[in-house]
Amino acid sequence: MVPIKTIAIVLAATILIALPLVVKNAFALDICIRVLLFAFIGVAWNLMGGYAKQLSLGHAAFFGLGAYTSTLLLIRLGISPWIGIVAGGVVAMLVSLPIGWLCFRLRGPYFAIATIAVAQVLMLLFLKLRDFAWGAEGTTLPNLGNAPLMMQFGGKAGYYWLALVLLALALAITYRIERSWMGYYLVAVGEDEDAAEAIGVNAPRIKRDVYLISAFLTALAGTFYVQYIYFIDPNTAFSFNVSVEAALVSIVGGIGTLWGPVLGTILLEPTSALLQSTLGSGRGGVQLTVYALILMAVILWRPTGLLGIFTDTYQRIARRG
Amino acid sequence: MFSTVAQAVINGLLIGGIYALVSIGVTLIFGVVKVVNFAQGEFVMIGMYISFFLATKLGVDPLLSLAISMPALFLIGVLLQETLIRRVLGLGDMPQIFLTFALSLLLMNVALLLFTANYQTVHTAYSDASFQVGPVYVSVAKLIAFVVAMLLSGALWLFLHATDMGKAMRAAAQNRDVAMLMGINPNRVFSVAVGLALALAGAAGSLLMPFYPAYPTVGQVFTLMAFVAVILGTLGNVTGALIAGLMMGIAESLGIQFVGADSGLIVVFLMLLVTLAVRPSGLFGGWSR
Repeated sequence: MVPIKTIAIVLAATILIALPLVVKNAFALDICIRVLLFAFIGVAWNLMGGYAKQLSLGHAAFFGLGAYTSTLLLIRLGISPWIGIVAGGVVAMLVSLPIGWLCFRLRGPYFAIATIAVAQVLMLLFLKLRDFAWGAEGTTLPNLGNAPLMMQFGGKAGYYWLALVLLALALAITYRIERSWMGYYLVAVGEDEDAAEAIGVNAPRIKRDVYLISAFLTALAGTFYVQYIYFIDPNTAFSFNVSVEAALVSIVGGIGTLWGPVLGTILLEPTSALLQSTLGSGRGGVQLTVYALILMAVILWRPTGLLGIFTDTYQRIARRG
Repeated sequence: MFSTVAQAVINGLLIGGIYALVSIGVTLIFGVVKVVNFAQGEFVMIGMYISFFLATKLGVDPLLSLAISMPALFLIGVLLQETLIRRVLGLGDMPQIFLTFALSLLLMNVALLLFTANYQTVHTAYSDASFQVGPVYVSVAKLIAFVVAMLLSGALWLFLHATDMGKAMRAAAQNRDVAMLMGINPNRVFSVAVGLALALAGAAGSLLMPFYPAYPTVGQVFTLMAFVAVILGTLGNVTGALIAGLMMGIAESLGIQFVGADSGLIVVFLMLLVTLAVRPSGLFGGWSR
């Protein structure tokens, strides 16, 4: 007898994989891709912000580095973004080392502020790099039509599957870490760094390691995003909104949980897309107003996130049945 | 060369007065309530719009509207403390950081919905006026803003040192539990501290209005500047925030002058990162007495 849990997982995976074969509406598919992408970024952020409680508000730094690395390699050297995406991840990891060295000596709000500053410095730097990286105007990526070897796909389905793979990868990594010594160390550091150090956790090292992983994953999202929208400029690549959304989806869904960021994105991203399409994007501000209200409501009434509501209900039903 | 440097320093110092005002607010809230207010710049924005509408609808000079923007923001501050901040005290970093952060997002985007993204300016008789001191030109509007900012900072310093409420505030900042044992009502102290901090932000907004455009996201720059200044000046240290705010203005101005028009913030942020690397506790040590 195959356990019900396995059947459910296989079923869910089949539905998720088959979805673009059924859903042909480009708008709906675009929302699905955004959900997968931001859930992926959220999961990457959550590793560090959720488990180790290192509340970064500057993850756009890695998103942007990934985006620029692969784009520069593609346009300047003609190197495939499949190599570029890994290169971007490596660049982000390398850059995360000095950033971490600087910022990890700070705690709580100081850390958050410092990470904002780092992301801003990088954005301003790329605004200055006019010849090398197209400055403020940015550049469009060459549209090669259906060229899977160059990470470009004819329809949206290809992007959907790629985003799905990325999210699955991030979830698998989180799942592994959650059940390893590293996971316990992270939670210990997140709960009380001094106490964790007192019982022998090497806090600086564990924070550095999780930052490396988180930066790497976030950079992959950056490459994916520019390949998807065919455009890059500093304001898109290092957008403060990316930093915000990474944290937002995790907090709304459930900070420091495997599925929290996914749930948060499923709730937030379609809401904002529908709001924008019904109210029109001409009047800016609606999306972030709604986000801000949701965030405040969650913090005031359910700071552990909404995932708890779902698991509680599930357990109640399971117990009854 | 000398006159260029002198001009940049003067310009920076004058705008630094405004940064100092915003920074003192951030550091006051952090020192007393132990919460970092990510929305401080948005209250500058609100102050600016108050002055803008008073000037355009009723013809009130932005400097006179100080008398309305400051009390209005003080009340908003008390309300903010009583209804929102109070509920996350002692709950750890995440709720405290993200509550005021959400508030900042909310205010910015509500302003965008209400007032559109257009730049709004108020032109006064002294907006373009300037006078010459040696080789340096001094803008009258900026000089007024600087002088008033320094007077308000001085008034706050006097309040903290010469009144019972101010002393209670410093006591609560040093050690909340002991302060409570001495009969200080922390809720009252917190409300007044947040109210004063927001009143300073409102004042900064009104002072900026004669020479600075108002728009929904205008506060972001001021929040970032204030954060850099309070870290440089050591979080919670009022005098440190004042000095660091002035330094920020000068650093930004020199950056614009010598690195490029869009490089002011780079210089400021690099200063922050160097400080963090070399002296993470800031330049001025603990709470100023």
